[in-house]
Amino acid sequence: MTLMASDYDWSLIWESRGVLATATLMALKVASVALLLSVVIGLLFAVWRLAPARFSWPAALYINIFRGVPALVSVIWVYFGLGIVLDVRLSVFEASVIALVLLYSAFLAEIFRAALLAIPKGQQEAGLALGLTRWQTFAGVMLPQAAKIAMPNIGSMLIGMIKDTSTFVVIGLAEVVYVSQSIVATTYQPFVLYTAAAAIYVVLAFVIDYIFRLVEKSMGAGAEGPLIKALTTRRRRRLEALATGHMSSAPLPVTRRS
Amino acid sequence: MTSSANGFSAVTGGDLSAGAAIPGGEARPVMVQLKGIRKRFGDKEVIRGVDLQVRKGEHVVIFGPSGSGKSTLLRTANLLEQPQEGSIVMGGVEYGPEARKQRSKRGSPVTLRRSVGMVFQQFNLFPHLTAVENIAFPLRRVKHMGRIEAERKAADSLEQVGLRRWAAHYPSQLSGGQQQRVAIARALSLDPQVMLFDEPTSALDVELVGEVLGVMRRLAEAGMTMVIVTHELKFARDIGDLNIYMEDGAIVEAGTREIYDHPSDPRTQRFLKAVL
Repeated sequence: MTLMASDYDWSLIWESRGVLATATLMALKVASVALLLSVVIGLLFAVWRLAPARFSWPAALYINIFRGVPALVSVIWVYFGLGIVLDVRLSVFEASVIALVLLYSAFLAEIFRAALLAIPKGQQEAGLALGLTRWQTFAGVMLPQAAKIAMPNIGSMLIGMIKDTSTFVVIGLAEVVYVSQSIVATTYQPFVLYTAAAAIYVVLAFVIDYIFRLVEKSMGAGAEGPLIKALTTRRRRRLEALATGHMSSAPLPVTRRS
Repeated sequence: MTSSANGFSAVTGGDLSAGAAIPGGEARPVMVQLKGIRKRFGDKEVIRGVDLQVRKGEHVVIFGPSGSGKSTLLRTANLLEQPQEGSIVMGGVEYGPEARKQRSKRGSPVTLRRSVGMVFQQFNLFPHLTAVENIAFPLRRVKHMGRIEAERKAADSLEQVGLRRWAAHYPSQLSGGQQQRVAIARALSLDPQVMLFDEPTSALDVELVGEVLGVMRRLAEAGMTMVIVTHELKFARDIGDLNIYMEDGAIVEAGTREIYDHPSDPRTQRFLKAVL
């Protein structure tokens, strides 16, 4: 018996829209929480990694190990290993987040390190010469510039994280592949449902890429497009008022002329 | 300490002479002192024991061939380069490696830098901030001003260098000359007692050099204490009170503007003959 195209029941996707949407949200939730944590931890590792080699080797070791571990292994280590070692009962959600953070904080550390190294040396010197402390220089001069450089890559990391949640079916995370698999079990339509799953990942990738590029563009010079203009209107108006000198003598708080 | 302490704000009012009356020579108090500065990069010693006194209101010019150590010397003055030996004395406080030995009155680099302004060859404006924010951001952090107050003061600083209407522009939208003027305004807004200029016009197209030198000239006339590393010897001859020729990490010759017309050391003579 050969499989015919007419055997594929595409209406299944529409019929399953509710559970697929819930599963997509779950994937997004796990990936978003993990991204936030990974950004913070990755930044710490990036700064640590930039220290002289005799201090930074543990960071380098961590980064090189966890960049190489597959998500599937990571989540099994965390869910079946970490819980026992630390003697805590991790939920599926917690284990999923930790598994992603372990991997992606390593990737993000490298992204931030490259971004920080891409900033000309004169920027830090200018900050210090103005009398800013090392921390103020880092937070106010280096970090905003590094964030802009890193932004598209951070978006790629989020896309990767969402895709990696598909392997967490092994610990029973109710994400897109888990739900697809359970529908396949009763309908015998793997081609249809896994194609639907792939379509969901691809659409998410497009949306995330668009959002992160928008954020990147809104940072600093060359901000354009109606959305960015609208988001930065207040700041732009304030600065342009300074340029014409209208606000120079206005009392505090600034009031608009009637 | 108010912003008018450096006299430059008088420029806004069009009265360039206010605060410019500097009585002659030696009576003026010493503002900054470099003592026995030595700096090595690896095996190579680039500053080989330099002493230098800068008096209040004085305009010190340092010139010399590339690689003579003049920029490095300037950068040790605010500890952007940490010398291996020597110290910087300013306002009764000693900074640098020698100062470390006497715990009592040593100062931190941050304290030193808060009374020393610096202008770089490459401007080093912050590209993610507009012109006015480039000035307002350090005002907020160093002078603890609120956003509105800092931005207003920043706009006034831009006015002094003729760039108020460029306040909302990013550095990438400004010419090199405009960027350097913003950088000067940024350093001045923090009320430094001394301004360091590290080849401020070397990265500029020739037609833009004039506007930056113009701002520096007004600043000099307003009585600011300045140390300038430059290749613009015509400008140097105009404003230099103390003119220093450096070669191989040491001061070869120092003196009044006579140094340009009648250098006494053969090395100075050779350099000036080559560049003038």
